Amino acid sequence: MIDSINGNFMKVKKIGKPIAVIGAGLAGLTAANFLRHNDTDFVLYEAGKRISGLAASFKDAEGFSYDFGAHFITNRLAGAIGVSSECRTIEYYGETVWLKGKIYKYPVGLMKVPRMAFSGAVSKFKSFGNGSGPRSAADWFRKKYGTVLADTVALPLIEAWSGAKADDLSPSLGESLPGSIGKTLYLKAASRVLGRAVACGYNREMPEKASVWHVYPERGVSVLCEKLAEGLEDRIKLETPVEEILVENEKVVAIKAKGETKEVSAVISTAPANILAKLVRGTNSLEHLKKFRYRPMLFVNMRFSGRGLLPDTVVWFPGDEFPFFRLTEATISMPWLAPEGKTIITIDIGCEKGDEFWTMDEESVTEICLEHMAKIIPGARAKFLGANVLRTPIAYPVFLNEYENERKNFERSTGIDNLLSIGRNGEFAHIFMEDVYWRTRRKVGNLMQRA
Amino acid sequence: MAAQLNLTHVRCCVCESSDAEPVGNGQDFEYNTVPDTFLAMRCNSCGLVYLNPRPSAADFQTIYPPNYHAFDFSEKDFGLVYKIRSRLEAKRLLTWCKGLPDDARILDIGCGDGFHMRLLSEYGKKSWTVEGVDIDKRAVEMAEKAGLKVHLGSIEDGKLPKDSYDLAYMIQTIEHLGNPANVLSAVREVLKPNAKFVIVTDNTDSIDFQVFKSGYWGGYHFPRHWNLFNRSSLKKLAEKTGFEVADLSTIVSPVNWVYSVHNALVDWNAPRFLVDRFTLKSTVSLSAFTSLDIILQKFNRGGLLRAILRKL
Repeated sequence: MIDSINGNFMKVKKIGKPIAVIGAGLAGLTAANFLRHNDTDFVLYEAGKRISGLAASFKDAEGFSYDFGAHFITNRLAGAIGVSSECRTIEYYGETVWLKGKIYKYPVGLMKVPRMAFSGAVSKFKSFGNGSGPRSAADWFRKKYGTVLADTVALPLIEAWSGAKADDLSPSLGESLPGSIGKTLYLKAASRVLGRAVACGYNREMPEKASVWHVYPERGVSVLCEKLAEGLEDRIKLETPVEEILVENEKVVAIKAKGETKEVSAVISTAPANILAKLVRGTNSLEHLKKFRYRPMLFVNMRFSGRGLLPDTVVWFPGDEFPFFRLTEATISMPWLAPEGKTIITIDIGCEKGDEFWTMDEESVTEICLEHMAKIIPGARAKFLGANVLRTPIAYPVFLNEYENERKNFERSTGIDNLLSIGRNGEFAHIFMEDVYWRTRRKVGNLMQRA
Repeated sequence: MAAQLNLTHVRCCVCESSDAEPVGNGQDFEYNTVPDTFLAMRCNSCGLVYLNPRPSAADFQTIYPPNYHAFDFSEKDFGLVYKIRSRLEAKRLLTWCKGLPDDARILDIGCGDGFHMRLLSEYGKKSWTVEGVDIDKRAVEMAEKAGLKVHLGSIEDGKLPKDSYDLAYMIQTIEHLGNPANVLSAVREVLKPNAKFVIVTDNTDSIDFQVFKSGYWGGYHFPRHWNLFNRSSLKKLAEKTGFEVADLSTIVSPVNWVYSVHNALVDWNAPRFLVDRFTLKSTVSLSAFTSLDIILQKFNRGGLLRAILRKL
């Protein structure tokens, strides 16, 4: 893209070696786009047949849309990428917690439960003048929200989500959850007044405010990546997995892809941190990343006739009453994702590779889900239209206390000056789409300055 | 369906850096020409606030609708406001003209319908030659109808005579430009040595910016204001393009206050009659915010920034 008016991006500098970007998802494409706009040469390697990575989407013949991963796009992110005119405003987005058959609106509904409010207030009172920091995620949540809310809602959820005991998880997990109660209430109120889903808790890199709300591209989330990739086609190499990253004297010097070695000035990787460690040759400084664990997940997309079958867009299920911890009926917020009079509910089941759910055939998974759904949605079986199951080995990073120091170091740097690790899996961080965009730009900017 | 803009990504026009953060976002609250959300980014290196991504020159027909106010600020439509503004602006213009020779040549860059040129012809010395330049055909036609001498095109075209003008001014124009640095360099070319060049533009050090910067600020004028300055970024730009800063201060303007409130009301779906209380035609709100800005101006935090530069 050449801006003829101010003559900015005139020509790409091809002096010296290019930067290799690994992975054409949101992070990789943001990095590539930023490099192009700063006249810096790069090659983007993508192992798959097409771009978009986790931010891909497709629509089936019946008109149901499926997006892998994130649904949370704000008008600010859409505006920054230049796709806001292709997005629709989301008028409503809400979360609810299901506790023993009763539903509580998050967060206001929970705060109205007397024993939760009381225990929350007690923990606040106790925390005055108590300087000792929390030792684990369990500790953090109990101190922050009180033991009742922590033990009945927060801790069961994070345990199901991460597959580890809350006592073994690092307190950073809590700190990484955005927003104070006051701010949440303000943003929720703004949402009501303005009649649009003001983003609350789905971005932490940039300030949350009433002028930033959820939007969604009419054609699905992949619109973002397509826009970022515009004009970069000549520098994107599809079906070209990077096999090795060669390091000499703690500096990346080359990469190997399809058996060919290519000299590079730097590497920007979006590979999961533990996989990045396996790609690097010639150094031991990334060895500790191999310990980092990601939580595998099963996502079951179930199609039903009817709309608004769940009490809210997202319903959380703490405790072991159900095999899943979260249900999402996206059409409550984005009605255009399913044909009229029909809906799609996504079920999140945390698992481990090789366990009962991971190895179960699609039909059995669907059957179990349907059985449980019948307890939540009256007549679910009669409304059921079909389902598909998606297995992902790397859904979320697990913040274990066991490698907390290594994780904190990795947050600052990979340890190799000209090697960046970006994106949700690359950073090993609980970040959302907007965070990925701004953080990537900032990190790549710093890399260019160092170079 | 609304027109699709040809959005382009840019870097800071002052320091060429792309290290910037979003400071505000919003829509075209005033003319509703497109449904897009736009981002105002602030350069981390020089403080310039700029629209990114922004439309291209090819989108001008879309983003500057026929009823755009700069094309038709007339006494008929604006009544009392027109009278007061004329007086005030004439006084300002004549201050800049102090010391000009009888045969002075004056250039109005981005003259629009020729409002300021008319004031100079009316209140200034009859022996002065006042010329204007504007890239918009509609504006030039209107100015010519009023008997003014206007060049159609951009000053960057290099068609104006070099070293010829005694004074040039650019009033609320620099913020509309794609590449202010190129325009300033072109202005420098046509000025006589040591000649004066005055720039008036929205001030991002103002209190109205502080209050409304997250989206409703009138000065954003989404998506028509592409580069917005404060003292330091304007000074940097002037020095980069071969000017010396003789004076850099703020002047009173209620306009961004009025439009900030207007934009908030539009976004909250306020009733029409209330929204209409906050436009360039509403004497009451303009007077109230003028009073406020007079006080702020005493602290050098007025709504507009005025730079008096000299060609080095």
